[in-house]
Amino acid sequence: MKILDNPFFVLGLPAEASRIEIEREAQKLLGMLELGFAEAASYATPLGPKLRTAEMVRAAVAALRDPYQRLVAELWARHAPPPRPEPPQRPAPLPSRDGLRRALGWRP
Amino acid sequence: MYVLPYVVLQWLRQAAINARRRDRTARYLLWSVLAGIAGGVMLVLVAAFVALLWSVSLWWLGLAMIAVLVVPVIGSALVRWVLVPAGAHRLAYRVAMFSRPGPDPAAFALCAAAWASRSGTAVAWVEARRDARRPLGDAEIAATALLAAGRGDAQTARELLRSLAMIVEDHAAVRELAGEWLACDAAERGAWPELAEHAAAARWPATPLTFLLEGIAARHTGDPAAPSSRELWARWLVAPRRRATRPLVVEAAAVTGAPAGHAPADPAAPAAADPTPLPCAVAAHLAFDAEPVTAASLASAVTAWDTALGDDATRAWLARRANELDAPPGAAARAIQDVAGAVTDDLARIAEAARLGAPPGARGPVGGNLARRLRHGRLDALEAAFSRWADRRHDRTPHPSIDEWREFVALWTAYGAAVAAGGLELRRLAFPNAFTKGSHMAAWLWNKREEYALSHAISKWLLDEALAVGDTEAIELGHRNCALAVPTRLGHVSP
Repeated sequence: MKILDNPFFVLGLPAEASRIEIEREAQKLLGMLELGFAEAASYATPLGPKLRTAEMVRAAVAALRDPYQRLVAELWARHAPPPRPEPPQRPAPLPSRDGLRRALGWRP
Repeated sequence: MYVLPYVVLQWLRQAAINARRRDRTARYLLWSVLAGIAGGVMLVLVAAFVALLWSVSLWWLGLAMIAVLVVPVIGSALVRWVLVPAGAHRLAYRVAMFSRPGPDPAAFALCAAAWASRSGTAVAWVEARRDARRPLGDAEIAATALLAAGRGDAQTARELLRSLAMIVEDHAAVRELAGEWLACDAAERGAWPELAEHAAAARWPATPLTFLLEGIAARHTGDPAAPSSRELWARWLVAPRRRATRPLVVEAAAVTGAPAGHAPADPAAPAAADPTPLPCAVAAHLAFDAEPVTAASLASAVTAWDTALGDDATRAWLARRANELDAPPGAAARAIQDVAGAVTDDLARIAEAARLGAPPGARGPVGGNLARRLRHGRLDALEAAFSRWADRRHDRTPHPSIDEWREFVALWTAYGAAVAAGGLELRRLAFPNAFTKGSHMAAWLWNKREEYALSHAISKWLLDEALAVGDTEAIELGHRNCALAVPTRLGHVSP
């Protein structure tokens, strides 16, 4: 299971959410997605926001109906760092020396 | 009056260049200056001689003397500064031939022509010259590498030039060019440790430009034997392309003490017991998306997962939640297995992409599976590649010798990468197949193709590998094969 596709993140719910809360949130998100609400179009993950689709919401709620799949999803979601509003900053690349070989008389 | 001083100066200049090729200390600069002064005096002598001939109306003889006496002094500079930038491959070949680069001038000339080649016609011309020279030696491989570099294929050029270290035929002028290309390439990539390692091993005779870049690399890597700022600037003065190298020297001169960057953590060091192992494992896993993957970070993630999945608190939490969720019997154990499998899949993908091996000594549900998965995948790929290589002996159409070498270099590179990632365990498993196939190919290249230098290089590599894994039978055969004198254009080389 990829952590970015974790059902709890897709639904935007904590790992302690009850069955009723899950069903209610899924219906709400499906309705918002159908109407094209911008706030429903993405969800927060520990690696930054990710695009949300109606298929993902249906798959998430189906996964959480199964006790075993919910157990595995909880294992990841309960112990993951908190979701981030932005993707993590990558370290700055080393200063580029492109073209140095050519400047020193060699190709390419 | 002119001939004897000229001959003495010519000898002095060549002796200084030869001494410089063997030296990487401060004396290198002295030899360079001496060679430069000797060359300058030779040019003055030739000018005086030509003026004398001109004054007695022997101007035609004066012109001939210029060609005979000046070209050997300025030939290399003429190739580098005029003929290569102009793409005059034929003229570069001729001038390089007359620049007295050693006992086999055509070797250096071939490389000069390859360096100057711009068009398809020029490449075909150089390839025809190369293929006419048999058996294959270091010059033919270097020329092929320079042609690849001209096409923009730096990776092939890099691998072929690195492979020259295995060839016993040794043209100093060719090795200088190879070493300079590799040094410039490493400088462009910022691969200072790689360049410092080449310098420490004195793998190639250094040109003034190589010597300068090696000094810069030593400063960047914090080598205790790195040149002082003053010596670095002295190297810069002696080297060509000063405008392009000045920023590099300024940057290196500002470096003091140990190299920048974090000291890698010891992957073998046991991780401190963490009160919350599962969040640590998930965080270590997610960190791969934000930071470059290193052997230390991979080892840290593997240790964290093995600790977390073997932790009693994790298992107790899973059992309790499984009960609360009314999950089927055995769900907790199955969840541990599934998570371990998913994590192993992910880490194997990450390790393959970064060409890393499994952390040494990893035995947990993640570490053990990761080691097995990486080892088997790499072994299968290597065995298939060696088998394809050995099957070339049975092809009805013989391949050009350079293609045989390129095939071996590709395998040698893949084997080196797999062994570097998989460690001694994988090396021991991979060697028997490589030895069987490689020995057959070496014998075939020697006996049927008369490619002595290539055959010897393969035998020497197999011997080094046999010594590394401690295979006594292979060591014995390797010593016998490598003791054979290798016929080259520079005479028989007795390793």
